[in-house]
Order: sequence, then C-alpha cells, then structure tokens
Amino acid sequence: MQVAANYIDQILIFSIFALSLNLLLGYMGQVSVAHASFGAIGGYAVGYLSLTHGWNVFLAVLFGAVLAGVVGAIVALPALRLSVEYLILLTLGVSSVLLGLFQTFPQLGGTYGLIGIPIASIFGHDLVKTSDWILPLAVILAIVYSICHRLGESPFGRVLKGIRDDDKATLSLGKNVVFYKVLVFGITCGLAGLAGGLLAGFNSLATPSQFGFDVSLAIFAMVIFGGTGNLTGSILGATTVVLTKPFLEWAVSLAPETAALWRLTFYGLLLVVLMRLRAQGLLPEGVSIFRPSTWRAPRTNPELASADVVPATVVAAAEEWETRLEVVETPADERRRERTWADAPVVLEVTGLSKSFGSIVAAEDLSIVLRKGTITALVGPNGAGKTTVFNLLTGFIPPDSGSVKLNGRELVGSKPNRVARAGMVRSWQDVRVIPRLSSLQNVMLGVQDQSGEHLAPLFANVAGVKRREREVREASMDWLSFVGMSDFADTPAGALSFGQSKLVALARVLSTNADVLLLDEPASGIDTQWVEAMLALIEKVREQGRTVCIVEHNLHVVDHLADHTYFMELGRITDQGTFQELTNSPRLAEAYFGTN
Amino acid sequence: MLAVTFETLRQLIASGIVNGASYGILGVAFALILGVTGRFHYAFGVLYTLAAFFAFTFFDRVGWPFWLSAVVGVLITVAMGVGIEALIYRPLAAKAGSNALLAIFVASLGLGIAGSNLIQIFWGAQTHSLLGFALKPVSVLGANVINVDVYSVITAIALVAGLTSLLRFTGLGRSIKATRSNPEMALLIGVDPARIYLVVFAIASLFAGIAAIWAALKYSVEPTMGFRPVVLAFVVAFLGGTAKSPVRVFATGIVIGLIETISSIWLPVRWTQLVVFVILVLYLISFSVNRSWFTRLGTALTGKA
Repeated sequence: MQVAANYIDQILIFSIFALSLNLLLGYMGQVSVAHASFGAIGGYAVGYLSLTHGWNVFLAVLFGAVLAGVVGAIVALPALRLSVEYLILLTLGVSSVLLGLFQTFPQLGGTYGLIGIPIASIFGHDLVKTSDWILPLAVILAIVYSICHRLGESPFGRVLKGIRDDDKATLSLGKNVVFYKVLVFGITCGLAGLAGGLLAGFNSLATPSQFGFDVSLAIFAMVIFGGTGNLTGSILGATTVVLTKPFLEWAVSLAPETAALWRLTFYGLLLVVLMRLRAQGLLPEGVSIFRPSTWRAPRTNPELASADVVPATVVAAAEEWETRLEVVETPADERRRERTWADAPVVLEVTGLSKSFGSIVAAEDLSIVLRKGTITALVGPNGAGKTTVFNLLTGFIPPDSGSVKLNGRELVGSKPNRVARAGMVRSWQDVRVIPRLSSLQNVMLGVQDQSGEHLAPLFANVAGVKRREREVREASMDWLSFVGMSDFADTPAGALSFGQSKLVALARVLSTNADVLLLDEPASGIDTQWVEAMLALIEKVREQGRTVCIVEHNLHVVDHLADHTYFMELGRITDQGTFQELTNSPRLAEAYFGTN
Repeated sequence: MLAVTFETLRQLIASGIVNGASYGILGVAFALILGVTGRFHYAFGVLYTLAAFFAFTFFDRVGWPFWLSAVVGVLITVAMGVGIEALIYRPLAAKAGSNALLAIFVASLGLGIAGSNLIQIFWGAQTHSLLGFALKPVSVLGANVINVDVYSVITAIALVAGLTSLLRFTGLGRSIKATRSNPEMALLIGVDPARIYLVVFAIASLFAGIAAIWAALKYSVEPTMGFRPVVLAFVVAFLGGTAKSPVRVFATGIVIGLIETISSIWLPVRWTQLVVFVILVLYLISFSVNRSWFTRLGTALTGKA
C-alpha cells in the first residue's frame, strides 16, 4: 500500500514539474533543460529553512517557490533573444552553476546534501506515512493545473503561442514579448521550485542527485511524451515515466538497480521513436481526453482549405473592383486625387531618417509624409531599402538619426510593441500568420487592450476577462468577414493557402485599430484574382479613413491605389508625386525598367 | 591574492593547455556539426564514451593489441556517428521542417539517455583502467606532465591543422563551407548537403573518438566520462563560434582550459569547475543584452572601427 502511495506521490510531484515546463516549452516555445535545478532551489530552501530555522515545511516550500521564480526571471533576461540552441546551452550552463553552487556551501551539506528534513505538517496534521501526502499533493497539483490552464488557454496563452510560433509578428502586434518571456520564465521556474520543495519535503532530503541534470531531462521527456502544449498530456507523461520503473521491476522482474537503468534506456529510446512517429506526443495540442470531438485532427472545410479557393465574398469584391478598373482615370481625376492628398492632414511625418550598417547605407536622410485617409506607395528596385524603411518606422531597426512623428508624437527610440500601441502597425512580406492558431485566433491576437492578456485581471476579474474576450471575438469575426475569410475562422492558419493567409494577415493588422497601416507587398506572390480582391480591400480600408502606406512591386497595384508615390533607390528617396508623374519621369523609367 | 611561484604557474599553464586541448578538439568537432548541419548533437557525449569502452573491450577483454583496439574503437564511433545522422537525424529533419532543431535535440537527448544507460547495463557502472602503454612522466619546458598529455596535445593540434587545411584547400572542404553558409545555394552549385552532413558527422566522431582514447589512457574508462568534457565542448563551440575557423574554436578551448586551472590559484577546486559556466552565462548575458557595447569597447581598445 505504502509502495503504491509512494509512486502516486511521485506522479503528483512530477506532474507539477511537467506542467510548469510545458507552459514554458509547449506554450511559449522556450527550451529549458534546467528545470530540476530550479526545483533544487525549492528543495534546498525547504531543507535549510526547516533544519536550521525550524520552519514549517510547507511554508518553506512557498518561500522556495518564490525564490526559484525570482532566480528564473533573472535567468530569463539573457535568455530573451537567444535562439533554441543557445537556450539549450544557457540552461545547461545554469543547471551546472546552480547544482555546483549548492554543493559548494558546507551549510547546504556539500555533495551529500541536506538529510533528515523534519516531518511536514499541514493544518496541524503530520504527514507521517507516504499515503498521508496524497491528498495535500493532489490539491496542490489541482491548483497548479488550474494556474497553468488559466495562463495557457486564455488570451494570455494566445500571446504565448504567438511568441512561440513567431515572436517578431507578435511583437509587431503590440505585445510586450520581452515582458511575457521574463514573466512566464519566472512563473514556471517558481512552480518548479514548488515541486522541488515538495519533493524534498516528501523524501525528507535535499541532495544534488535528486535534482541532477538527468532529472531535468526526465522532466523534459515527460512533457515531450505527453504532448507539448497539452496540459493533461503532461500529467500522462509524468505518470508514464514514473511508472516505468515499477512496471519493469514487477513485469520483467528486474532488480531495482537494473530496472532503473532499463527505465532510462526505455524512455530514451521512446523519445527517439516518438519524435519519428508522433512528434506531437501522446496527446497533441488541442486534444482533450474528455472531449471526443477533439480526438481527430481539425479538418474544417476540407474542400475549402485544401485547394486555393477564393472565398465567394472575396470574389464578389473583386468583381466589383474589376468594373471600376474599366473606368479610365482622366488627367483631371488624377489632379483631383493629388489635390485631395495635399489637403489631407499629416498623420505621420518622417524627417531626416538615416541608417547605415557598417559602410552600407540602408537609408539616407529619408523624409516621408503620410496623410490621413490616403494611400502612399513606396516603390523602387530590389534592394532600394523599402522594407528597411518599414523596419525603421516600426522600431524593429533603430535609426542612426532622424525623427518619426505619429500625430506629433516622437516614435524613434520606441520598441516595436510601443509603436504598434501608438497606432502604427506593419504587415510582413512573408505574411507571418501564426500557423498553429486558427484564423480567428490570429485576428484576435491583433486586438489591443485585452484584459485577459494581463496577469492580474486574468485571475482577479474572471467575468471581466470573459466579457472582453467575447467582444474581441466578435470584433475579430467582423474583420474576418470584412476580408471574406469568415468561413475559415476555425482553420489553423498554417493550413491556409498563401492568398488566404495574406487575407488573414490583413484582417489581423486591421483588428489592431491602428491609424497607420504599413503593408509590405500586400499583392505579391498571389494570382490576379487575389490581387484584385486585395486592391478592393485596401481601398475599403482607405474609405474608413485609415492611413495606408504600401511597399509594392506590382506597378498595376500602385497605379490604381496610390494617392501619392515615393520612388526609392539605394536607400534614398529620389522622386515623388503621383504615379503618372513618376512614370513620365525618365529617371524612374531608367532605374526601374532599365530603359530610357 | 596568494603569491604564486613561477613553478606553480608553469605547472598550471601546462595542465591548462593539456585540458584545454581536449576541450578544444571536442569543441571543434561539436562546432563543425552544429555550424554545418544545424543539429544539436547531444548524443555526442555517448559516442565519446563508447569509443573508450570499445577500445577497452577489444584490448582488455578480447586481447587485441592496444593500437588496433584503439583504432577499431574509434572507427566504430565514426560508423555510429554517421549512422545516427543517416538513420535518425536526417529522416527526422525532413519530417519536422522548421522545428527540426528541437525535434533533433529531443531525439539526440533520447539517444544520449538511452546510450549512457545501456553502457552501464552492458559494462557495469564501475571504473576500468585502459593500460595501453606505460604512463611516463615527461618534462616539457620545465613543467611536469605525462607522455599521454604530450601525445594528446600533438594529435589535437594535428587534427585541427588537418581540418583547417581540408576546409581551406580541398574541394570537399569548400563544399563543407558552402553548405555551412547556405545549404540551398550549395545544392544549386552541385553540392549534396546530405553527403556533406555525413562527412561532417564522420569527422566530428573521429575527433571525439581520438580524444576519448587519450582521456581513457590518462584517467579511466567509466560510463560518465563523457558528460563533463562534452558539456565543455558545447561551451567552447558556442564561445568560439560555430561558423568560425577550427583554429579559433580550438584556441577558445585552450583559453577555457587555462582559465579553469589558473583560477585554482584563487579559488577552491570546487569553484573552478563553475568558473567556466559562470563565464558562459556572463557571455550569453552580454551577447543578448547589448552587442554594440562590446563593439564600442573593442573600438576604444584597438582604436579602429
């Protein structure tokens, strides 16, 4: 009985480890192979405080969790901009440093660790037998599960998944990626500290080997087995890994020492096989064992999503546009358009913007004006630096000098998320939809001021978060309908065709409600039908009074959309005017078409 | 600060270079794999350990001559390295697409865990001695080392020099460099990245195997012998730069070795093992926080941009 209870307790404790690592790895895409060493912080806190200061074990567990969380947040700071391989290495290094430190202090028992931690008691009940631990551990696991679930399956989790799949795109939508990374790293390390503290209290000892690198790897394996991004999966994974040992001992009647070795061999090989056959784990993301409807992979509208079908609403818009294209613009129209442009109030004023990379000048003394309710085009040959301009305007690349004023407010020096929140959002040439989120979720990610994206309201104002989420969903659905993609609301964005994902990306930019939209090649790489749909949509956006700037190679698009055009070569703006004026200038013809 | 005699310092420098050459050669091998193939080959440590165990088995149990046992042990390691790439990593990379790095790391982790435990199952957890030839004390410029130290440093230098000339002067080397900088472009000019990856895994496994044999002669053959050198190899590879010349990575290894031994003048032994990781963490912090600060510092020190 006590043997079984021992395994149940271990499953409960390791489930906490696995859940917290899953939040980090599965939801936010940050690899850590140091999870057990954060557990060691909790474990040693329990050992030290209960042995030398006579603390109650559970009080010490809480303290250890907070301490581990703080250390985790500090470690997250260098981890912020690292790619996966560096993150593996950093956490490997952190694991070695932490374990090494614990062994260095004689107060912490050196290589032997701390032994003889007093019996834990909670609310006056002493936890003497292993079976006494089951209830408190189960309650704590339930609490941790609900915390992780709340963080992962909410607007907060949507941002995390955005960061996981494309942190730049998420940043460009106004989300403070740095803050989320530090916060979630801290929270998950804190939960690891909690689990480590419980493990030390349960085993009555805190030793280096209890939290060694192989334990970190075992926790990592649990998350991978269960399925990254699936919380129930993590409990399943923890159960599988913990139970392999007794299974081998009883079923194959191996000696305990050999069984331990075979267990590790077994799950090591299982990891290899799993990666090959079922990389998403036993329970893939989005699958719930309690809801059979989620068991099959989502294949909504198979006939729609499979082929590159233009949605009917988009076709209608395109046809409407086509009839308008037949109306030839007279020079008088052209002049009127230019006059309207000149009369419109200035929204964005860029002056003297320069940037060079070493000896390569990417932008030199750029001055650009965007006016309210108009479309400005930036044209120029490949390599002229058009996309760099977008990067400079939105803070992705800090300029060397110059000023970017949005409605009079200086944006130079602001981070991309600040620029987005100030009301200027860019789209990406390579679309950058979040592949594992549905179309609707992608658009919802664009909506600003969501209370559910912040920690305090997420837990303190559940009703308010729910209400706001409903509003966000409705608004996003409206934007999806606007671009004609509402039939694909539940389709994962990664399953869409290129044209479809461009429309979703447009809806996502629109849902930010930004005044100024910078669209990077909105009509490139798609068929004529899609181009026309895109033209119709951008024109509609202008009618709503938004200010649009496009970078575009398709001169047909520029001709029909742009109220004003800047011509750019080798990082400098060399001409501007209406598109007709520019095409008549021999300079552009030479640079752009290679003729004169 | 404690006063240090010249003799002590000379001795510390000698052992720093000896250890560093071993970290360096492993770092070069790991950097070659990561830089060219983009695979985080965690199972590298197990291959290292296996080379020593095979050599030990052939020599001590089967009774083959030492050099034959060592060569066969290293060759088996090379075959296993190539096999892992061909049978596990490559199909996985094709399937995982953009997530290949993580998928391969997980698989490699699995191989590493399974491999190190299988070694314990087959060979037991105890420590064995590989008594290939007699260890003799040698004096190099007044510092006392053993003959194996001298051999291992010389082979390490020879291997690095060999790899450097391979990369610089041969068609194969140029293909490897082309694949490292851009696999798609390499494919366009007729280089088959799949074949290059196999070559890279063969070279790296060869380096690991040779380093393992020297370590086994000097210390012992044991299941955990691969962990620390290989973790240090990861560190060396990253600090040295995975897309940089082998000479630079090797030099980084020597520096790490020297830092480790020389810091023992001021620090207790337990701390010196941490020093390397502290340097790594500080480096990664500076790396992510502000690169321009270092550029400016460099400019200030050297007086040129």
